[in-house]
Amino acid sequence: MSATVTFWLLGAFALAGAAAVVFSRDALRLVVGLGAFLLAVAGLYLYYGMGFLAAAQVFVYVGGVLVLVLFALLLLSRDGRGRLLAPGGFDLAAAAVAAGMAAVLALTLRDFRPPGAQAAQADLGATLLGPMLPAFELLGVLLLAALVATLVIVGGGERK
Amino acid sequence: MTGMPVTLLSAALFGLGLYGTLTRRDLVAVLACVEIMLGAASLQLVAFARAANALGNGEALALVLVVLAAAEAAVGLGLVLATVKRTGKSRVEELTEVSG
Repeated sequence: MSATVTFWLLGAFALAGAAAVVFSRDALRLVVGLGAFLLAVAGLYLYYGMGFLAAAQVFVYVGGVLVLVLFALLLLSRDGRGRLLAPGGFDLAAAAVAAGMAAVLALTLRDFRPPGAQAAQADLGATLLGPMLPAFELLGVLLLAALVATLVIVGGGERK
Repeated sequence: MTGMPVTLLSAALFGLGLYGTLTRRDLVAVLACVEIMLGAASLQLVAFARAANALGNGEALALVLVVLAAAEAAVGLGLVLATVKRTGKSRVEELTEVSG
């Protein structure tokens, strides 16, 4: 029973954070909302028994991505307009598309049953270095490429 | 809690993120909304892995998603910074020229 309460509390937390990101006009509130959403999702990972994933989520997202977003927002708001973002405004078409997409997802995934219960395979390391080794190696290359690409795009090395 | 409740939750989160992606007008806010859609998808993946009793596979897949999202955020925010440096504009409706 208390597990159900935990699930719905974390779910409500995630929804509230996402709503703050989507609707708030203040840049810092957006960042705080994103942080709440990411922490709630990390909590849900813990709820599903994936402790390492929850820790990675907190380190990578809350420690890395969130700080990046904060830097970008503060760098962009130096023009005296303060930290206010452009108002989103209610858009009926966008709301219809989003609601339709959510309905399609809920209806199609509702009856989905994962193919047969496999043997419990809880060893993350064995999975990553076993059947998922190509993906694991490619991720390293991807991260390197993304880092170099970011440096090239921002152009930090061109100034003399 | 697998099955319908988590599917509803992740579908609602995905819908919220999609709505924000379509309506927000600041580039950084659009990126934040994309992160929400990624998080919703990854939550659904983890729930499926739990239902299939394949925790290792689900955790590894979600970890791949986390790394992809980190790379996407780094490149995306780098693009935003470069765009603002070149054009001085950071809002979607001001950036309508494909080449310029």
